Amino acid sequence: MARFNLPEGCDEQQVEELLTGDFPFAVEEPVVERRAIYDTFDWRLFNRSLSLYHAGHELAVRRLSDGKRVGSLAAASAPAFAWDLAEGPLKDRLEPIIGVRALLLLAEMHTLSRTYRILNADRKTVARLVYTEASPAPGRDVPLAGAYLTLLPVRGYPKHARQLAAHLRQAGFTPAEWKDAYLAALEGVGRRPGSYTAKPDFQLEPDMRSDLATKRILRQLLDVMRANQAGIRADIDTEFLHDFRTAIRRTRSALSQIRNVFPPETTQRFGGEFRTLGSLTNQLRDLDVYLLAESAYRAELPPTIGDDIVPLFDYLRTQREQALADVITGLDSQDYRRILRDWETFLNEPVPETPEAANAALPIIDLARQRIYRRYRRVVKDGNHALEHTQDELLHALRIDCKKLRYLLEFFESLFPPKKVARLIRQLKALQDNLGEFNDLSVQQAYLLRIAEELPVSDTRSKRALVATGYLVETLARRQQVVKASFAKTFTDFTSPGNQKLYRQLFATTEKRSTS
Amino acid sequence: MTTLALYSNKGGVGKTAAAVNLAYLAAQAGLSTLICDLDPQSSTSFYFRVKPKLKRKARGLVTGGKGVDRSIKGTDYENLDLLPADFSHRNLDITFDRLKRRKHRLDMVLEPLREEYDLIVLDCPPTINIVAENVFNATDHLLVPLIPTTLSVRTHEQLLAFLEENGYASDSVYAFFSMVDRRKKLHRDMAIALLGRFDGILQSPIPYLSHVEQMGLYRKPVPAFAPSSPAAQAYQALWAEVQKELLNVR
Repeated sequence: MARFNLPEGCDEQQVEELLTGDFPFAVEEPVVERRAIYDTFDWRLFNRSLSLYHAGHELAVRRLSDGKRVGSLAAASAPAFAWDLAEGPLKDRLEPIIGVRALLLLAEMHTLSRTYRILNADRKTVARLVYTEASPAPGRDVPLAGAYLTLLPVRGYPKHARQLAAHLRQAGFTPAEWKDAYLAALEGVGRRPGSYTAKPDFQLEPDMRSDLATKRILRQLLDVMRANQAGIRADIDTEFLHDFRTAIRRTRSALSQIRNVFPPETTQRFGGEFRTLGSLTNQLRDLDVYLLAESAYRAELPPTIGDDIVPLFDYLRTQREQALADVITGLDSQDYRRILRDWETFLNEPVPETPEAANAALPIIDLARQRIYRRYRRVVKDGNHALEHTQDELLHALRIDCKKLRYLLEFFESLFPPKKVARLIRQLKALQDNLGEFNDLSVQQAYLLRIAEELPVSDTRSKRALVATGYLVETLARRQQVVKASFAKTFTDFTSPGNQKLYRQLFATTEKRSTS
Repeated sequence: MTTLALYSNKGGVGKTAAAVNLAYLAAQAGLSTLICDLDPQSSTSFYFRVKPKLKRKARGLVTGGKGVDRSIKGTDYENLDLLPADFSHRNLDITFDRLKRRKHRLDMVLEPLREEYDLIVLDCPPTINIVAENVFNATDHLLVPLIPTTLSVRTHEQLLAFLEENGYASDSVYAFFSMVDRRKKLHRDMAIALLGRFDGILQSPIPYLSHVEQMGLYRKPVPAFAPSSPAAQAYQALWAEVQKELLNVR
């Protein structure tokens, strides 16, 4: 398949004239089509160089690089979530990419296509040339977004396709990429692929002033918060809230960990405000997590009591409605708007020429090294302590330490050799996953027990739900012990001599690096 | 992937017409389909307006390999490709005879194509020699057009006997009535008698109709030039039955 852009001022009639004489053809009836393009809010398909669209009665996925179809299935419309897709290879391929995110309609492309079948002396079709006019909305009055020709070779007749391609190029048609139509459709509605990511790429220069660099980080996190507000309100999927909360947590972490770059009263004030903002959404997030895990929980139960757990989730669903309403009220409140406005004003203010804060004028690379190395040593110390004493509380504390270290590494990623930082993050993540799972399992047990107390027990159905909940708590407790048992190995990997050396190399101050 | 051979050891029974129309309907139903013209008379290739000649350098059914892939032609219809006839098929029996695994050559040649296509339809020459045995070894099902006459019955009995003697499973053999003339009492009587006599006879007959003959004039499958004609409907009914009985589609 090859695609061509039309030369300036060329229309369908001229295409027809171009073929006449040299290439006998037959024209088919024009085909009108609406093509709707979908992706998640954070461009998960685009980031994999894929495009998902619905046209006719079909949902199809194409590679953006060459327009090649990688899968399709019959569907009257696009589903809201990957788990709603019909079972099959397309679902198997898309579900791991899309995850829990909703599919959003990004743009529509309305096309009118006419196929010219190029014929040989036997009047056999030896190539197809499709003339397509695309517009962002249906109807004759809408301005065209573009017109292009697509040359489709017929198997076994490569020579004819080659000749026709050469003929087109000679007449001023220029080869186009398949991607162009996709990008043009998005551009037509003002969408920029890849424009949102939950984890911004913080680009810093090593000798930047620390207060300036910190403001840059915080500014990007504020953008993430703002970008997710509408999605939370519209309750499109659970990730809007998750990203919103993560941005708040990162903000709080930056404020407290990148020490002494702003006046203390500023740090204190906004630290408090963002703590309040974060707690506003705690309940909704908890409920989201349990509801997302509904099928996983049911799978934990023996088949005989699998359905008994349903009343618990019905109860959580009604709870969630209230929790969502509370969050929306919070987002609509004067307080919230004031906090964000004040915060933005502060971030936009120029930094003082002679700052009072001790680290404000320090080159960010120095501060980054200092903070990361300190936090790292703290993790090692607390981890060793937890190894000796194996108390649950110590593991929880270590989990918080690790999270802080992770945020620091991510804030300052751009200042250090990318491959090395990536390796450190990978290793830290393995430890975090272990600790995170341990923590989730204990939080879940406590939560289920608390919900069990709240659950109104009036009939057999709810009594059975209690039994199922009890079973679930026991399963979780058993799994928690398994996870705990694997902590020692994960932590030893994290503190391997190679890893320690890398931290020292990258982050220890000069004299420490040379003495070690 | 299923390989289906339109086969009869008797000529002029409607093999090629059935192969072309069934392959077309399969492709229309969304199956990626390849029709192979094994008959040196190359009628199938003619119907699809493809020149009955394999490319120079390209290799045909005898040796197989990458060359077969190069010989495949796209037809005018979506999902439907054709492996054209080759004049050298005329001596296919002699050629096969000289090679190793001589009764499995066709199977070996089709092997790499089975990944690519959902359905391979073979239009076979009317023989019962080594070429036929290659067909039997390469296909999942034989589909035999049967004209309801005494002679056809004899031929069909011969085929079943041959399969039995040579150790081929006869339960993969299906037949349908072809070129049925409803005005002839003989055809009506024979059809009823045969239904009870052989296993695997499909219920959808193909009548003797002028539209089937006009395929040569239009050089198209019947449903492509006369979609609502009785002939097109007859093939559609037969295709539906083939899907249900042979391809296990519900």
